[in-house]
Amino acid sequence: MEMTYSQAINAALREEMKRDDTVYILGEDVGIFGGCFGVTAGLIQEFGPERVLDTPISETAIVGSAVGAAAAGLRPVAEIMFMDFMTVCMDEFFNQAAKMRYMFGGKVKVPLTLRTVCGAGLGAAAQHSQSLEAWFTHMPGVKVVMPSTPADAKGLLVSSIRDDNPVIFIEHKMLYGVTGEVPEGEYTIPLGKADIKREGRDVTVVATSLMVHRALVAAETLAGEGIEVEVVDPRTLVPFDKETLLQSVEKTGRLVIVHEAVKNSGFGAEIAAIVAEEGFDFLDAPVKRVAAPFAPVPFSPPLEAAYVPSEEKIIEAIKSLF
Amino acid sequence: MAPNKEEMLDMYRKMLLIREFEETVANLFSQGQIPGFVHLYVGEEAVAVGVCSNLGDKDYIASTHRGHGHGIARGASVEKMMAEIFGKIDGYCKGKGGSMHIAAVELGFLGANGIVGAGLPLAAGAAFANKYLKNGGVAVCFFGDGASNRATFHEALNLASIWKLPVIFVCENNMYGISMSQERHQNINDIADRAVAYGIPGVSVDGNDVMAVYEAAAEAIKRARAGEGPTLIECKTYRFRGHFEGDACVYRSEEEVNEWKKKCPIQRFGTSLLEMNIASREELDAISAEVKEQIKNAVEFARKSPYPDVSELTTDVYCD
Amino acid sequence: MSVGIIANPASGKDIRRLVAHATVFDNNEKANLIRRILLGLDSLGVRRVWFMPDYFGFYQRVLDSLAGRCRLALEARLLDMKINASQDDSRRAAEMMAAAGVSCIITLGGDGTNRVVAKGAGNIPLLPVSTGTNNVFPVMVEGTVAGLAAGLLATGAVEPEEALQRTKMLVIYINGRPADIALIDAVVLADRFTGSRAVWDASKIRQIAATRGSTACIGIASVVGGLRHIGPAEPCGMHVIVGSPTGDAAVSVRAAIGPGLIKRVPVVAYHLLQPGQRIQVLESPCVIALDGERELRINAGDSAEIELSMEGPWVVDIDRTLAAAAARGVFREHRERPAGNK
Ligand SMILES: Cc1ncc(C[n+]2csc(CCOP(=O)(O)OP(=O)(O)O)c2C)c(N)n1
Ligand SMILES: [Mg+2]
Repeated sequence: MEMTYSQAINAALREEMKRDDTVYILGEDVGIFGGCFGVTAGLIQEFGPERVLDTPISETAIVGSAVGAAAAGLRPVAEIMFMDFMTVCMDEFFNQAAKMRYMFGGKVKVPLTLRTVCGAGLGAAAQHSQSLEAWFTHMPGVKVVMPSTPADAKGLLVSSIRDDNPVIFIEHKMLYGVTGEVPEGEYTIPLGKADIKREGRDVTVVATSLMVHRALVAAETLAGEGIEVEVVDPRTLVPFDKETLLQSVEKTGRLVIVHEAVKNSGFGAEIAAIVAEEGFDFLDAPVKRVAAPFAPVPFSPPLEAAYVPSEEKIIEAIKSLF
Repeated sequence: MAPNKEEMLDMYRKMLLIREFEETVANLFSQGQIPGFVHLYVGEEAVAVGVCSNLGDKDYIASTHRGHGHGIARGASVEKMMAEIFGKIDGYCKGKGGSMHIAAVELGFLGANGIVGAGLPLAAGAAFANKYLKNGGVAVCFFGDGASNRATFHEALNLASIWKLPVIFVCENNMYGISMSQERHQNINDIADRAVAYGIPGVSVDGNDVMAVYEAAAEAIKRARAGEGPTLIECKTYRFRGHFEGDACVYRSEEEVNEWKKKCPIQRFGTSLLEMNIASREELDAISAEVKEQIKNAVEFARKSPYPDVSELTTDVYCD
Repeated sequence: MSVGIIANPASGKDIRRLVAHATVFDNNEKANLIRRILLGLDSLGVRRVWFMPDYFGFYQRVLDSLAGRCRLALEARLLDMKINASQDDSRRAAEMMAAAGVSCIITLGGDGTNRVVAKGAGNIPLLPVSTGTNNVFPVMVEGTVAGLAAGLLATGAVEPEEALQRTKMLVIYINGRPADIALIDAVVLADRFTGSRAVWDASKIRQIAATRGSTACIGIASVVGGLRHIGPAEPCGMHVIVGSPTGDAAVSVRAAIGPGLIKRVPVVAYHLLQPGQRIQVLESPCVIALDGERELRINAGDSAEIELSMEGPWVVDIDRTLAAAAARGVFREHRERPAGNK
């Protein structure tokens, strides 16, 4: 069935809420407004205000209360309107949600799903456009999911909600309108399983979120020039599917990593390090990273366009390896 | 204490300038000429103008995502503001900030802000600096009813009260935070009540009456300058337009909007100026014509200004 | 056997918290007060209580919290009216309550609230409960007691003649037509705007007309009281012509024109106002503050007059009412000895 990324997420929420009445949604304007990007549209009509809770502008209380409720047996799906606002509820997520189980000697579970949205492209400027996923991969106890297609979004969100750990589920605002085939009926996609979005023998491109689509366009262009690109979408950064990565690099001997976050200490550094440590012998060329420059996201349209990695930059990086 | 005629006409002019600026931005935005998100201040002009008309050189303001009005009221150039909103190099922030981060630090305008509630502690800090430097300056923070539910509101009020900071917290209670009506987002109706919890004065005024806002701000600023500490002023107002441009406003009725439009702060002030024999129709019309011209020029200026060069991408990240 | 309650959600947080040292009275505290009033009314068997709808929602909040432990026998109802969150809500509510035949209207607010309610209440008495420090007309009274007093009147346990007192008022005429009223004072100010409404800048006062004068009051009535005491029932008022602060008025009065706000007011002349006597407003354009709030703008060229009227609202005298009831043994109960007991 063809649907948009946004509809797929909506469908996952609806199905999980039907399936399990401990699942509830909370966040700013998630009710009649349907969420800032319309993702939760219709849910309040279907499940009522007891299960779709509009909150005040209180991120601290949104995440903190969700952690408490999760520890007390519910399965909250909290929405933080823009990923940039995770900064104002970091304690609740990092010090509370992430480590509660460990600190309590394994005696508690925190089945919290935190949906949020990253990415530039709308001219939303420095505080509404960031890609901060790497921060959350530095938090033992948290799983990090970053889907790139409607089908992945649905299957991964279902798994995230059913997972007994805190999961941050990072959507991309430029993907909401993207359509794709989504399997009929209930299905899940396991967290920690990468997906090869295109097979190729010459070079491995690991890309996340919106960048998967740009990598696929680049691969198509390069196919015309005789370079066969394999596009690997990790889909979840924690847990990370090392096997798929290493197998691909073993096959191609070349690795380009693409993400929208800034290059410094981005998740690309982790991927490169994994390959350096565990697949050094596979490499025929240095690892390349294509990422944003080390600057906040600019507002001005030409600057913003130059900020986000483009197909051309990906192609250029790939070609530099041959 | 009370503003003289010239000052009152300046207040009238500034309110009109904000109105014209915002309506022009709305138009340009709907034509796709302005990128990003814009949150407009139409209907709330009396708050920014009533407060900022009391400020001097050393004073700071911190603003919100709905910040154009605060900038204009503080005396920022509409050309540079418009250019910023267009993302052009001659904008206040070289086009890097845009509508939500417009700032004119040289005027003590510490910026619009994309993070709701972020301005409160910043203003407390600016007030602290003024107090530390003993320069007699104060700081004002504008923020919304929605923002009063953020931790920053509570922490900033508490800090400012124990340190007796010369800061004025101006709540623009327009009765909604996006789709959340005040009655749904807090269990009180007068945000001024929250001042009690921090041991500072809190007052509610008609935010659509520029003189009411002016008087309250004047008193609070006097108090701040005298070293008596912060004040919370709640201005009851309403945004005539959606939360952002493009908002369908499903959460409020047309009727409610129309009721509030009848309380238009600019019309009200204009009528008082005439009825009280302070200004003539001709004077007000002349101001209105000047304002229109000014905004036309601002758009022209913004259009003509070039976009920043791509080399600007990585400048201004650090001081050199 | 019904009573009305009009609570003003906007009272208790105006600029007097900043320019003077007035108390803050938040709405949750008013709701609390209303609960106690209802419990007082209920204990005497009042059947029905009418509420004015308001934007804070006193009615629902109060009832919700009484639904559990303190179930009421009385029926509380909301008037079927649309509200605009303006003063006029209170006037219309008072009219509707009068039409519904309430025995009295309990008001929660300051002088301003009562002024507006009086405009709609007609001959229905008010029981004004103060929600702040800056009032003359309403009284500081515990809600339970206010509820009891209203209940005694409503149930007929006390006769109106025992309970009620008629107050005075001022009628303001603009160009010969009645435009508004004041219960305590009407103050002519050299001002152009109603602004933040309160009056704290004594230098702007030009004339005072008052129904009462007492130095025990806060507000302009204390200026009058500094010249001569005038009780609420005394058949006269006062007119004061105030001098400019730099002028050479021979007398000045020290008065608490706001909580903690003691000012010197220069007096050029004053005289008693007789019932029906009208005085001319000497300044135009100007602003007239009614019961402490800048309310009326007198435009350039308009003429205004102020008249003392003996036909102000009826008010429930709480002390007298309760005393009358006690004297009649209303509160006393005798234990009946069961038959067969020794
Ligand atoms: C910390 C944070 N949370 C949420 C948002 C998203 N957001 C932007 S404006 C807004 C509503 C703000 O309401 P209010 O403070 O009343 O200001 P108004 O828009 O009414 O002027 C929200 C929720 C944000 N920018 N920052
Ligand atoms: Mg608001």
